[in-house]
Amino acid sequence: MTIWWLILILATLASIGGAFVWLALRIGQAGSGSKSKIQNGSIEEAADQDVEHIFNEQFREELRNRGRLHFEKIIGENAMFLQQDLRLTTSQLNEYMKTEITQKLQEEFSKYEESIMDAKQLAIESIEKTNAAIDEQRQVIGLQVQQEIAAEKQQMLKHFESNMANIINHYVLAAVGDQIDLSDQLEYILGDLEANKQAIIEDIQRGA
Amino acid sequence: MAHETAAETPQKTFGLPVLVASPVDVGRLIRELEVIDGALLQVKLQKDSQDRLPKTSHLMDQTAQLNKLDLSNDHDRKQLQEFLVLVKQKAPILHISFSADPTTAFIEKIMAWLRREIHPSVLLTIGLQPNIGAGCVVRSTNKYFDFSLRKDFETKRDLLLGTLGAAEVTAARTASAPVANAPAPVAQGAAT
Repeated sequence: MTIWWLILILATLASIGGAFVWLALRIGQAGSGSKSKIQNGSIEEAADQDVEHIFNEQFREELRNRGRLHFEKIIGENAMFLQQDLRLTTSQLNEYMKTEITQKLQEEFSKYEESIMDAKQLAIESIEKTNAAIDEQRQVIGLQVQQEIAAEKQQMLKHFESNMANIINHYVLAAVGDQIDLSDQLEYILGDLEANKQAIIEDIQRGA
Repeated sequence: MAHETAAETPQKTFGLPVLVASPVDVGRLIRELEVIDGALLQVKLQKDSQDRLPKTSHLMDQTAQLNKLDLSNDHDRKQLQEFLVLVKQKAPILHISFSADPTTAFIEKIMAWLRREIHPSVLLTIGLQPNIGAGCVVRSTNKYFDFSLRKDFETKRDLLLGTLGAAEVTAARTASAPVANAPAPVAQGAAT
């Protein structure tokens, strides 16, 4: 952008210089034209002399110096303007870049934050689902374990009850058996024999 | 003591003393009778003037006494031998198992009842089954009679289980009752 400004300024200066030279030549030509109608030959010569006299080397040098100074002044002013524009453009560019970068960063940060929030939400949902599944599984397992324990308990109780009678019988027989004398049992035995006497007699009479 | 038991023979009615209880006793009497026969035959062959009987067992003495037999008489001995062989071959045999070894007096009482109520010449074999607790187990020719305490317990098993169940319910109620109701079982026990 700076190069283009410089080229534009140079082109302006060149066009101004060209216009100045053209104006000087035009004035010269206009003066010589009016006199030529009256005295073509002498006037032209006089004009040439006047021109030579007016626009001598000193005057030309002075014009050159003025043009150089004016050119330098214009160049200086334009350089100052260019510098100001450059500063302004730089500051605007900085602001623009800062704004753009900030905006981009904010957008990226917002996208990043959004993606993080989405990932977090997904993770939370996944964890919640996992927790729900674990709770459900735990309830199912707990229920199964309770049922199995209850069944096992029932089975043990049933087994215990079924064996309890045998245990008590065995214990009583072992405890009482040695304490009862056969003589004391005679009446009991004879009573049982008496009760089954008929069956015994029939079996004996029937024989083998 | 000597309950008479009779068996029909052509000439005379014979009986067995209650001490002769098992087929082994009968076999022992038969063998003893054969010994007596042999001994008397020896005496006769030696032409000994005195009929000296060998010493006889208590069972043989009781048997001879019960049946009013003279063992020095050949005819009596022959009749007794025929009777004993007949008893060994034909007499019904009962097998009774007890929880302990019975005494002789106990066996005599049992034999007296059996020969009075069941059969006059019934024989008895004694067994031992300590696990029956009390009572006896009778095995006849084709039948098995369990008069033991064990069998009685098995018969009354439902009663025992019912009593145990009621006791469990009572224990559970007592265990689950709050502390404030603690005196209740005491009052219940006092009421019962």
